[in-house]
Amino acid sequence: MGIKLYKEPELKNSIMFCGWPGIGNIGINAIDTLRGVLGAEEFGEIEPWEFFDPREVVIEGGLLKALRFPSNKFYFKQVKDRDLIFFIGQEQPTEGRTRYAEGQQAYQIANLVLDVAEKFDCRRVYTSGAAVTQIHHTAKPRVWAVPNSQNLVNEVKQYENTILMSEIEGRKEQGIITGLNGLLLGVAKKRGLEAICVMGEIPYYLQAAPWPYPKGSKSVLEVLTKILNISIDLSRLDELAQSVEESVEEFLESLYRTEAIPSEVRDEIEKLRHTEPAELGPITEEEQKKIMEHIDELFDQRRSEG
Amino acid sequence: MKDIFKFSAQPEFENPSLIVGWEEDAGRLSPKVIECLNKKLQAQSFCEIEPTGFFSLGGVAIEDNVAQFPENRFYSSERKDLVIFKGNEPRYERYRFLNEISDLAQHSCRIRELYTIGGTISPIAHSSSRRILAVFNQHEFQKRLRGYGLEDMDWKGPPAINSYLLWTAKRRGIAGVSLWAEIPFYLAAGEDFQAIKTILLVLDKKFKLDLDFGELNEQIRDQNGKIARLREDDQDVDKYIGMLESELSLSREEQMELSKKVTEFFEKG
Repeated sequence: MGIKLYKEPELKNSIMFCGWPGIGNIGINAIDTLRGVLGAEEFGEIEPWEFFDPREVVIEGGLLKALRFPSNKFYFKQVKDRDLIFFIGQEQPTEGRTRYAEGQQAYQIANLVLDVAEKFDCRRVYTSGAAVTQIHHTAKPRVWAVPNSQNLVNEVKQYENTILMSEIEGRKEQGIITGLNGLLLGVAKKRGLEAICVMGEIPYYLQAAPWPYPKGSKSVLEVLTKILNISIDLSRLDELAQSVEESVEEFLESLYRTEAIPSEVRDEIEKLRHTEPAELGPITEEEQKKIMEHIDELFDQRRSEG
Repeated sequence: MKDIFKFSAQPEFENPSLIVGWEEDAGRLSPKVIECLNKKLQAQSFCEIEPTGFFSLGGVAIEDNVAQFPENRFYSSERKDLVIFKGNEPRYERYRFLNEISDLAQHSCRIRELYTIGGTISPIAHSSSRRILAVFNQHEFQKRLRGYGLEDMDWKGPPAINSYLLWTAKRRGIAGVSLWAEIPFYLAAGEDFQAIKTILLVLDKKFKLDLDFGELNEQIRDQNGKIARLREDDQDVDKYIGMLESELSLSREEQMELSKKVTEFFEKG
């Protein structure tokens, strides 16, 4: 088990960005878009077989040519005298038992990622994911930021369109970041390495949707590019966001028209359309459960039909 | 790491081949082939794999009214050139499981070649001959097995556990082949004696086992006779099998109907 490096670039004071699949693929789409736009070069990978099952076998002419696993790759790029490292994982290790990464394998992979970070003089790690909130899909998502050190709180406060847990009503500065995004923050803290998780908001009624949520990714990218003091072309993400928004509108309309969901659920969702995110109180578990019971079922139905 | 193997004996081998079969298989092919080999060779289990970590041990599954429990055993016999393994596919930590099997095979048994056995569901009629599709992990081994009537497989998609094992063997430099016998889709849920015989014929030739096929031939005749009676009683079954015999394809609904009728017929006995 280990890390395979194809080359060892000389990096100084580097910043690492990590992305994995998760709700709405907000984090991975943000980080991978940044990596792609900057043209970062691949320089290594985590050998996947101890963490993931193979996805595909290639057999040609009676010979086993390849067994393909989810990839976990490292990339680097120098931008305006800043050395950047990207880690893109195609899957989170779940050990087959849970939806999100947890347990020994998740801890091992978090440590391997940070081994590479430290080997290449990384001083700051950013992870990215989704914040499930009471936002409407037509509203601009905010970015929730969680640093792993009190020293970073003031810096995070300067980020635009970003909020800390203490600024969210009802949260009492508390919460949980599931999966590797959270775990990496913790393991980095244990190693004395600065890390911040930036999470783009996604409407709670879309958390199980089969679509990505590019609006959330865009909000995350706006924060990250400000931090790096660069500007990048986000037009592809805008187009995708527009297309997803239209699909969501169409899907909800069809549910309302066919009365597939109760009118009270429809009213709850529609109420959000005209409310600023900052005005919204926290979602009670009961409210969320009521809505999700219906919507999740419909998404599952759509998946099995598709 | 805790040792997952529990040895009950320490047999000696001489450059053996390892034959691997799994309990769950289309047409019950690999468990039946392994049972047949073990019976002929009077093989005994010499090692088992502890299930902890690889299987859900929150209870037991019930199949055919009987409680089941995962069993993964290696068998040996007087034939020092053969090691046999039969097991249940692990639910968790598949890489570790397969790597441990390869490790034991390589270091404790010093195997020379690996053979995995499996059934592959095919849109053929039961009256057709069964092809054996082969996947090798070394080109040299592929050349050595020319002359056994194997056909080269082409496939790109989700891997079966046999392909995964073949890959772990390849990484260790162990020559391996997966033998996939075609199973008519409507016999996949039951037993396909013709496919079982087809695989055994190859193993018989390769390892000079001198197998007696009398009982198996009887089972094939009996199965074919029963399907012939079902065809007489059910026009749709006759029509669908006739189409397959004429190499015409069936729609998904027709395939499901044929499978259901044949499976229910054999379940009734």
